[in-house]
Amino acid sequence: MSTTALLEDTKLGPKAGGLYRHQNFLTGILTGGVAMFLGWLVAHYTVQNNANWGSDMVVTVTMAAWVVGFMAGIGAFNAVFRWMVGHDQDHDDELYAAGVSQGWRRYFKFCTDHKVVGTQYLVLVMSLFAVGGTLAMIIRTQLISPNNHLISPQTYNAVISIHGMIMIIATIIMVSGPWANFILPIQLGAKDMAFPRLNALSLWLVVAAVPPILISLFIGGVDSGWTTYAPLSVQSPPGQDAFAITIITFVVSVTVAGINTITTTMTMRAKGMTMGRLPIFVWGSLVAAGLGLYAMPAFLAAQSMLLTDRVVGTSFFAPAQGGAGWLYENIFWIMGHPEVYVILIPGVAAAMDVASTFSRKPLFGYKIAVGAFFGLGALALMVWAHHMFTTGWAPNLADPWMLTTELISIPTGVFFLVIIGTLWRGSIWTRLPMYWVYLFLWNFIIGGVTGIYLSDVPADQYFHGNMFVTAHFHYTLLGGGMIGATAALCYWFPKMSGKMLNERIGKLAFWVIAIFFQVTYFGMFWEGFQGMPRRIAAYAPYFHSANLIATIGAYGLFLGWVILLYAIIHSWMNGKVAPSNPWQAKSLEWHISSPPPLENFLVDPIVTSDPYTFGEGEPMAPAKQPSPATVGSTEGGAH
Amino acid sequence: MSSNHEDIKREQIAETVDGWTHNGPFHRRPSFRILILVILFTAFGVWAAVFFTDKIMPSILSSQMKSVHDTIIFFTILAAPVAALVYAIAAYSIYKWGHGHGEQAPPDGPPMRENSLTTSIWLGASTILVVVVLVWGMTALSSENQGQLRPVTIDVYGQQWLWTFKYPGTGVESNQLVVPVGRQIRFVVTSYDVTHGFWPNSLGVQIDANPGFKTYITADPNATGQFAVRCSQLCGLYHAYMDANGKVVTPTQFSSWLVSHGASTTSANAYALGGK
Repeated sequence: MSTTALLEDTKLGPKAGGLYRHQNFLTGILTGGVAMFLGWLVAHYTVQNNANWGSDMVVTVTMAAWVVGFMAGIGAFNAVFRWMVGHDQDHDDELYAAGVSQGWRRYFKFCTDHKVVGTQYLVLVMSLFAVGGTLAMIIRTQLISPNNHLISPQTYNAVISIHGMIMIIATIIMVSGPWANFILPIQLGAKDMAFPRLNALSLWLVVAAVPPILISLFIGGVDSGWTTYAPLSVQSPPGQDAFAITIITFVVSVTVAGINTITTTMTMRAKGMTMGRLPIFVWGSLVAAGLGLYAMPAFLAAQSMLLTDRVVGTSFFAPAQGGAGWLYENIFWIMGHPEVYVILIPGVAAAMDVASTFSRKPLFGYKIAVGAFFGLGALALMVWAHHMFTTGWAPNLADPWMLTTELISIPTGVFFLVIIGTLWRGSIWTRLPMYWVYLFLWNFIIGGVTGIYLSDVPADQYFHGNMFVTAHFHYTLLGGGMIGATAALCYWFPKMSGKMLNERIGKLAFWVIAIFFQVTYFGMFWEGFQGMPRRIAAYAPYFHSANLIATIGAYGLFLGWVILLYAIIHSWMNGKVAPSNPWQAKSLEWHISSPPPLENFLVDPIVTSDPYTFGEGEPMAPAKQPSPATVGSTEGGAH
Repeated sequence: MSSNHEDIKREQIAETVDGWTHNGPFHRRPSFRILILVILFTAFGVWAAVFFTDKIMPSILSSQMKSVHDTIIFFTILAAPVAALVYAIAAYSIYKWGHGHGEQAPPDGPPMRENSLTTSIWLGASTILVVVVLVWGMTALSSENQGQLRPVTIDVYGQQWLWTFKYPGTGVESNQLVVPVGRQIRFVVTSYDVTHGFWPNSLGVQIDANPGFKTYITADPNATGQFAVRCSQLCGLYHAYMDANGKVVTPTQFSSWLVSHGASTTSANAYALGGK
């Protein structure tokens, strides 16, 4: 704690931080609003005098102006600007930017401290889940009876599209946002991320990206699903333009964050932290970041081309002018498949670390787990067209796509081997984080097995585009990825907040979520077998009972998440103070106080083994007593 | 890793284990109970697959739909034991190796970092499963793609939010899809506006209707009955209502249906009974 005190009390010069002193979330919104208005004004009057441009141009310019204005208003460009005019920031400025002596206010600023960014990410992710979850409740309520008129078909299409995209955004950042920013640098023994300003930039870009997609609901909506398949999306209402601005902004954020995670892992490791000693979570984050760097720009390309089709009349995807919807579908899924592993892998990796700590055993098959991450990452680049089995594009390629897709079950199977191998003969400590690992196993294997049916072209001709697919990917992304992320949340919550999570409420939430999750998606599998297509606002009466089951399950599931949210807020405010190492775990973050001080380590740690030395005697060298003479090895022979 | 090294490791593990008097189960082999659990979970999985395909899915009206049913059951038989093994070990670990949820962590478990035999078996088994699944899929796919002489060609047109079926040579155009049993049907699918998904569900085939392109899919109806044609690709406002009725009938009924929809008897017979 003394470092915190030291740095908190540091007397910064009266003008340290310069313009940063006056910038926060609120000034960002105000500047963004003004920019939005100016953008609208200019675009509106330009459009009036130009017959070729329409409302799409107005929406695009307005939304882009919001993003730039918000980022400028919160101070994202200050440092770059000062550098350009030859007034580079001095040390006091940097400390100010890292949040020194600003108390809670730093959480509403463009703060470069990786722990502040991680916390901001966590709150952002939970807010996005709240929005996406509420939209899901609207969808399920609409489907409670066959011909419900709760919302119009137009609104329904907009709601499912925004539900999908908000959830995809939230799940992409749900582990790599909070935990790869907060925990990963500490696990490496680093003082911060490699690029603290880019770190803050990546967070606030996501914040800037959210309003356009929400506004899209009120300007006609997006009516072509989160996939926004062309040519339907070329003809969509102006909501599609706002959607595209959201995606473009978000992709920049993910790219920036990915570069940061990779560079941090490669260059910021403490002495002795060899690649072979990295916690598995770091490996997972690393592979996911690399995969994101490959995948996400394709989304930017797809949406940019779509935007130019709509705004300035290009014809990449317009069949009447020689374009093709298949082109869009290909570019989209070149992003879309790797993206699901960007979502999944960090969650799986976190679950592995939790499994090791709560089985009191070394991670089983560390090397093969790392290999599986890379294998999955490599395969992810070669499977995209299995989303297009029934589109009629390149039918002769069905066999190779089937091969690469089915090969995925080998690295995925390794995940299970690693976790059950870790459980095997362990001393299972059934604390809350471990509960989620068991739920992860249960759900993710159902998600995996149902994926095998979909990988088979003949069977996919029945299941494609039907509710079976919806149930399948919710089992993998929500049941696997998000449950893994919840394990991570319960595991690292004490470190992040300095408070213990209330396990009694947490376990209640667990059981509600675990049970109603099965009910919800059992209903959806049922619908899928019956032959109900996805994304329909009304259905034939014989789908009713399955839909009723799914809707009841969904309400329960929502309730479960609300209970968990209550546990988090309640514990954050009134929880028991957490010790530095409540789980008696061994990775570096547990060697420093909860929450950690600015710059994390008083003395640079020296690492002598990996964090999986359970049952092997000597743990990692404590952070406070570096003893270079300590002998240890990766294999961790008993002393 | 040398066997000598392995032995030393095993000794170390044995020593550690002996140090924990409370850890009785380490000495007993858990395999038998886990096996029972595996069998139970597997049986449940296979039963679920049979139940879903038999009771929930639409009836089988073509060899393609038969292949969908068979695939689901066959894949479940392959996958269920793997899933069951994971579930069994997970359940058993709580039951037998659980140490409660106290404030203090239980004593460390044995430091088993890897086991090359288990890993090899696991990788080998999953590779074999992948090969089996792949061969199954490729076989089914190639038999589906076998063209027969003189199939019945039907032109399918999607538009927002309506299906139109044209029976070339007869001049018949309908919103109802009627196909004869025992003949291969070749659907030539396209769209007037945006992408739709042509999905005659009991025929077990599906292909997108793309504007500007024609796509092809064949189905071999082998039983008469009713089915639904749905749109499986979100296509805008009334996507939910883009349904059509489908029927598999005998060739004679097909011919008279065509006549009742304006075809001449000669053209209807030539079209519907052509292969015979």
